[in-house]
Amino acid sequence: MAALGACGSAAVPARLCRVARVLWGWRARRGLGQDARAMGEGRTAKPSFTDEAVQNLLYKMTGLNLQKVFRPVKMELKPPKYKLMTEAQLEEATRKAIEEAKEKLAMPPVLTEREPIDDVLAEDKFLEGTESTKYVFTDLTYSVPHRERFIVVRETNGVLRKATWEERDRMIQIFFPKEGRRVIPPVLFKDENLMAVFQQDRHEDVLNRCIAQFEPDSPDYIRVHHRTYDDIEKHSKYDLLRSTRHFGGMVWYLVNRKQADGLLIDMIQRDLLDDASSLITLYHMLHPECPSAKEAKEGNLQGVDLIKVFAKTESKKEGYIQLALQAYEEAMAASRAS
Amino acid sequence: TLLAGSRLLKGYRGGHVVIRFALGGCTNRPFFRIVAAHSKRARDGKYLEQLGCLDPLPNVYGEKVAGLNLERLRYWLGCGAQLSRPAEKLLGLAGFLPLHPMTVTGAERLRRRRAAPSAPSMGPEKG
Repeated sequence: MAALGACGSAAVPARLCRVARVLWGWRARRGLGQDARAMGEGRTAKPSFTDEAVQNLLYKMTGLNLQKVFRPVKMELKPPKYKLMTEAQLEEATRKAIEEAKEKLAMPPVLTEREPIDDVLAEDKFLEGTESTKYVFTDLTYSVPHRERFIVVRETNGVLRKATWEERDRMIQIFFPKEGRRVIPPVLFKDENLMAVFQQDRHEDVLNRCIAQFEPDSPDYIRVHHRTYDDIEKHSKYDLLRSTRHFGGMVWYLVNRKQADGLLIDMIQRDLLDDASSLITLYHMLHPECPSAKEAKEGNLQGVDLIKVFAKTESKKEGYIQLALQAYEEAMAASRAS
Repeated sequence: TLLAGSRLLKGYRGGHVVIRFALGGCTNRPFFRIVAAHSKRARDGKYLEQLGCLDPLPNVYGEKVAGLNLERLRYWLGCGAQLSRPAEKLLGLAGFLPLHPMTVTGAERLRRRRAAPSAPSMGPEKG
């Protein structure tokens, strides 16, 4: 379990930023076609994870706790360096730190599960019985992107087929190793072992390792992420992911399944009303036909009124939300009076 | 240094470029590198370029892993390199070249040999 943090996790974020940017580029190029088709359907098409408005809302909700983003990562021990700076230099350093934190908080992509590959290139039935094991051939051309690489399998019954996604990932990791990734996926990502890690409150480490190990559209990646989000939502441990790059993905998952009530209560209890209102705005963007969305659009409500309307019409934990709002208003009145 | 250079720059009479397997690894653990080299060189000696590898022992998943740098392979074949028979057979299995006729013949012979002991009376009839 100690290996969770020490897996070169300092180098992993730098690599992953590049990976994320490359994948983002891939997604954006693919997404252009999808958006064009969506425009043809009409503006009522469902907003996707990559829309600017959605991304802005998710980014605002993630928060920017510099202490948490730049908390000490397990690296080799070096004595601390002290610098003497003027006020202006300190502001400059803080500004640069905020920019670096923004890069670290770049959200990993949320994609649909990939289709399994099932393509036979040649059938040579007379080869049946000659070989006892199958051959896996990988194309090692350096300039070919990994997605377009040829990886074929010659089975014992003579069939030459394209390799499955798991075989592809393994072969690419063998010949073009990426840091933080193992050839055989670690036992950690099995369901029973995930429960043990969740009890230790190490959701963020699990998600970081998952991003390093799997491709974003692999079923394992999606399964691990969904389990993590479910566990967080069950125990209301939302603060573990706040100010990390996984927060946006978690909010997207909860809002899509209409399970955002716990998160809303948590935000009100921490006096984050802006985040609460942006959460409800996102909810309305994703489910425009629900009654609270229509009411909000008619009345053009903001802030606390929006939350009240949402609590009355849509939520399942109405009582808790009312209680939290009451407590918040009392606290506001008390602080204004004193 | 001139003396050292004369050992490295070997001049041949005849010989051509071949793409073949160079054996490496340890005792009871072979490992082949698919290599473009002069035909007169030692099997494991200095080569022009490594074009891939083949692990003849099956791994945990029961597969024999092979890597082929197809772009460079095409370059050397375009330069006029010959192929050794095992290399041809491997590329035939991979689908890069058409299947080698000896692969087909070997499969046929194996099938006949397997069929023969089970039905010895039918042997002379099959021919």
